[in-house]
Formats: sequence, C-alpha cells, structure tokens
Amino acid sequence: MVRAVGGSGTIQMWSALEKMPAPATTYERIVYKNPSEHHYMKVRLEFQDRGVGLNAAQFKQLLISALKDLFGEVDAALPLDILTYEEKTLSAILRICSSGLVKLWSSLTLLGSYKGKKCAFRVIQVSPFLLALSGNSRELVLD
Amino acid sequence: MVRFKHRYLLCEVVSDDPRCRLSLEDRVLGGLIRDTIARVHGTFGAASCSIGFAVRYLNAYTGIVLLRCRKEFYQLVCSALPFITYLENKGHRYPCFLNTLHVGGTIRTCQKFLIRYNRRQLLILLQNCTDEAEREAIQKSVTRSCLLEERSDEEELSDNGGEEEAAEAME
Repeated sequence: MVRAVGGSGTIQMWSALEKMPAPATTYERIVYKNPSEHHYMKVRLEFQDRGVGLNAAQFKQLLISALKDLFGEVDAALPLDILTYEEKTLSAILRICSSGLVKLWSSLTLLGSYKGKKCAFRVIQVSPFLLALSGNSRELVLD
Repeated sequence: MVRFKHRYLLCEVVSDDPRCRLSLEDRVLGGLIRDTIARVHGTFGAASCSIGFAVRYLNAYTGIVLLRCRKEFYQLVCSALPFITYLENKGHRYPCFLNTLHVGGTIRTCQKFLIRYNRRQLLILLQNCTDEAEREAIQKSVTRSCLLEERSDEEELSDNGGEEEAAEAME
C-alpha cells in the first residue's frame, strides 16, 4: 500500500530501510488476570415461613454444613469469612478465596433447608473488590 | 480416538496386625474407599469418583491393591487414600494405612513396576532375615526371579505371586 503512494524514489527508500536490521527492542508485558485473591459475595437468606431467626454463629454453621454436604470435609475447611451480618434481614457479606468461589456458590444454590424449614439463598452481588459491594445500581432510588 | 482414560493406583496395605492383610476382600475395600471419598470430598466427590471406580487386583499375602479410577478425578481418589485409618471385617477393626506405590495409565505399566518393586523387596527381605532356612528359601526365590528375567522380559503375575507366597510363607 505504501509502495503505491509516492514515486519510484520512495520505493527505493523503503527497500533500503527494509534491508537494515531492525533495532533490538525489549519490552515487558504484565497481564493481571485477577489481581484480587478474595471474592466478596452479598447474600440474603430467605425462609418459606416467617419468624425464623439465626445469629451469626448459626449462619456460619449453616454455610459450612452446606459446603460439607456437597464438597466434603476438605472444602468445608475453606477460609470463609462473614464480614457483616444483619439478623433482621438475614443478609451478609461473605469473603472467600477466589479458588473456592465456584464451590461456595454452587453449595449455596443447592442448600434446601435449615432444621427442617425450607429456605433459599439469594445471591445479590459478587465482586472481587469489596468497594463494589457498597453500591448497587439495581437498588438505586432516583428522586 | 475417543475413549475413557483411566488411572491405575497401585497401593500397599500396611498394618501392624498380621491378620489385617488376610481379611482383605475387594468388595469390602471398595466400599471402604467409596465411603472415605464421600466423607472427604462430599456428594460431588462420591459421584464423580464412583463412576469408573473398581478394585482390579488384590493380593492378600502381600497386601497389594490395584485401584482404577477415571483420569479426570484420580486426584480426588489419591487425596482421599490417606484418610483411611482402619479396615473393618466381620466386626473386627484393624488399624492400617494405604501406601501409594505407583500411579499408571495402564495395568501393564503397573505390572512392570510391581515386578521391579517385588524384586527389590526380596533383596531387602534377604538382608533382614534372621533364620538360615529362611535365608536359603529367599536366596532360591531371588535366583529364580533372575533366571526368569533372563528368559523373558515380561513375567506373568502368577509367577510373581508364587515368589511372594514363598517369601511370605517363610515369615
């Protein structure tokens, strides 16, 4: 394409440049696939009947028993933390290492009951950054 | 080529109690390993490992067990083996553990490894034996195994079983 533009003089210049050896360039390419080693989940527990309460310890026990049911003792020992827990709305922010996110999410999905009462986990937000959980555009109220 | 690939785990049952090895049965051991995988890896582990799982070979005299599992999930099985601490048979509980000797892709490679391993074990037995009669019997087994090696490169497992039985019977 470049050769078509310009006259015969330009063609000679370009061929001369091509014959010169290219200068050695060194470059470094750093790729961050996932800079965060933890994932944060905002979840809410819903019961079929009302009036069921859990404190923080029982909530954690429920999470660990869900993991143990599906993935066994090895994955029940994953480093899982409950960062915040509200007893009124039964909602919490969980932190799990990134390799265990899929396992935790799938075991929350398959959890059906607590002490004989039917319940379900609703996952509201998942993010590798905690700051992202502070705002949710779905719950934004426009005045 | 589309086929199901397997991994064959060669393990040895090690126990203080001499009655533990004699009470080894393939169905009992298979059930025990499946229960252990269910405990350690949950429903997911139990389901994924039990599809291609089988106890292929069991030698009660030497306690050698050959397990088969699918290639995609052999690590789950491998990691669950150290959690086996006892063997239960007819109401008796024998404490034992499973030592993984070799992981192979086919039965043939495991067989080749087992032959070399047994030869080495015979030599170790020869070193450690105390009785003169034992020493002679083991020396005979060793020379017999060397002769068989010269005659053919591949030995049958039955020949090996004979040597092991002779060695174990002497103990």
